[in-house]
Amino acid sequence: MQIKQLQQKAAWVRRQVLEAIAAKGKGHIGGTYSCTDVLVALYYAGILRIDLKNPRQPDRDRFILSKGHACLALYSIYLDQGIFTPEKFAEYGVDGGSLGGQLDIHIPGAEYNTGSLGHALGIGCGMALAAKMDEKKYKTYILMGDAECLEWSVWESVMFASEHGLNNLIGIVDRNRLSVTDVLDDEHVFRNFKEKLQMFGWNAQVINGHSFEEILSAFEAAKNSDKPFMLLANTIKGKGISFMENGIKWHHSVPTPAELDKARAELKKNEDALSC
Amino acid sequence: MLKLAELDIRDAFFDEIYRIAAADKNVVFLTGDMDAFSLRKFKQDFPSRFINTGVAEQNMICVASGLAACGKKVFVYGINTFVSMRCFEQIKINICSMNLPVVIIGAGAGFSFGFDGPTHHGTQDVAVMRALPEMEIWNLADAGIAAACAKLAAKTTHPMYIRLDKGKFPDFYQPEENISAGFKLLKPLQKINLVSTGFMTQQAMQTAQALELQSVSVGVVDVSRLKPLNQDLIKQLIASSHKIFTLEEHCLTGGLGSILNDALASHKNSITLERLAIPDLQFLAYGSREWFHQSNGLDVQSITNRIQKLISR
Repeated sequence: MQIKQLQQKAAWVRRQVLEAIAAKGKGHIGGTYSCTDVLVALYYAGILRIDLKNPRQPDRDRFILSKGHACLALYSIYLDQGIFTPEKFAEYGVDGGSLGGQLDIHIPGAEYNTGSLGHALGIGCGMALAAKMDEKKYKTYILMGDAECLEWSVWESVMFASEHGLNNLIGIVDRNRLSVTDVLDDEHVFRNFKEKLQMFGWNAQVINGHSFEEILSAFEAAKNSDKPFMLLANTIKGKGISFMENGIKWHHSVPTPAELDKARAELKKNEDALSC
Repeated sequence: MLKLAELDIRDAFFDEIYRIAAADKNVVFLTGDMDAFSLRKFKQDFPSRFINTGVAEQNMICVASGLAACGKKVFVYGINTFVSMRCFEQIKINICSMNLPVVIIGAGAGFSFGFDGPTHHGTQDVAVMRALPEMEIWNLADAGIAAACAKLAAKTTHPMYIRLDKGKFPDFYQPEENISAGFKLLKPLQKINLVSTGFMTQQAMQTAQALELQSVSVGVVDVSRLKPLNQDLIKQLIASSHKIFTLEEHCLTGGLGSILNDALASHKNSITLERLAIPDLQFLAYGSREWFHQSNGLDVQSITNRIQKLISR
């Protein structure tokens, strides 16, 4: 898929996410939009080798969306790729429905139960180690939030991965610089973030997480890495809707009718521009 | 060949795990920097499948989960307080909510690391593990059942927590015995019955002998599988018992006595249940296991005296 097509796909995903959140009155729009472009790259640019018609095929690449609260972007991708029917997608946010605010393995296409942060990188270590033991070629991809990196368990797994030479493990940090209630600046865990990972024996690359050129180029490097690889994707929480961008309240706020109209207009304008 | 009673319970368990791993290349053993003499052979002969994940229990459970999700048969070993509590959420979500057949082996039952203080007192592990719906829990009383339980664990299809003691125990089981009931009547049930688990089963048997010398006849049951508790045991206990004494090296909250109490509450009965357990305390005290037992009324003499007093009421 060409870059422009990927951008169009990402715009389509953002629209599905907005409409689902507006219709059901729930969802994490900010952190979903910050990682939408990375997710679209994974699923549409030939990065993930997963046959979505047969999502449990043993040699598939493994992908865990550790920040499971960004699930609406994945649901939209699954809808587009035919894993979900529109009726299934409409179950999002319905009492007793099968699509909730986090992922579980009863959802076709979802690899693991997620919702609590700081777990998936270690699970990915186990999956990558199993591939090494069985001499299988599949790779394991883990997409985490940046606030998640305050969980020390992430760093236990960082050390394990390099100690065991897991160059088939690829992590992505959605560095949108906002947690639920606070700004995550370049201090503390994020100071010299890339260098920290390198000191722990990883390859790491800082990219613009909204540039498909940079995302694809980094994944290419990651696939050929001699060490575990971390993409540090600098992103914007709420990316794509001007009044949501970098706004802390948009972690899980639901737009008012007036905000919804404005958001729709902005997304439409972007889609129109991409269709020229 | 060593007789069972001369074999350390850990060696009985891990020798069996070695045999299972020799026959099945899918078996992987993870340890949180915890050793046992009989594990050295595993490490030497199957080095790529013996992984010391270091003092990092959260990651150890995550790695176990990822391996199991890719079809590996995973055993995880550590000190019971750390391997059950430090990484509780990892167990809850990554193993249990996924219903993966990971076997967690917790060493240091009760006060077996008595001198190391409350950080190492394994007195709440059963209560904590019991809160997990998918978790099957075993507490082993001798080398025979340790070997039998290792075989059972290798075939499990769901999460399992095994409380593994150390040292030598009298023979109550044989390694080839069918232990699937999860309990064994070591002395036929009477009107007064002692229901014990793990280390305390030997204490229960000695207590029964002491009581017999005073013409008090009691039944003795070893409960090896604490969850799910076999309902047939409950029926048998209700049919025969006037008084039941539970004996466990675990805090009063959430262990065997609590489990039995919960089970009996679902049935009409007039049984008096007395629970002999460790008080709900964290012990900032240091001493041998025997000293802790004596201090808390869990040595044979104290148990015998207490039962005599209670039955003479």
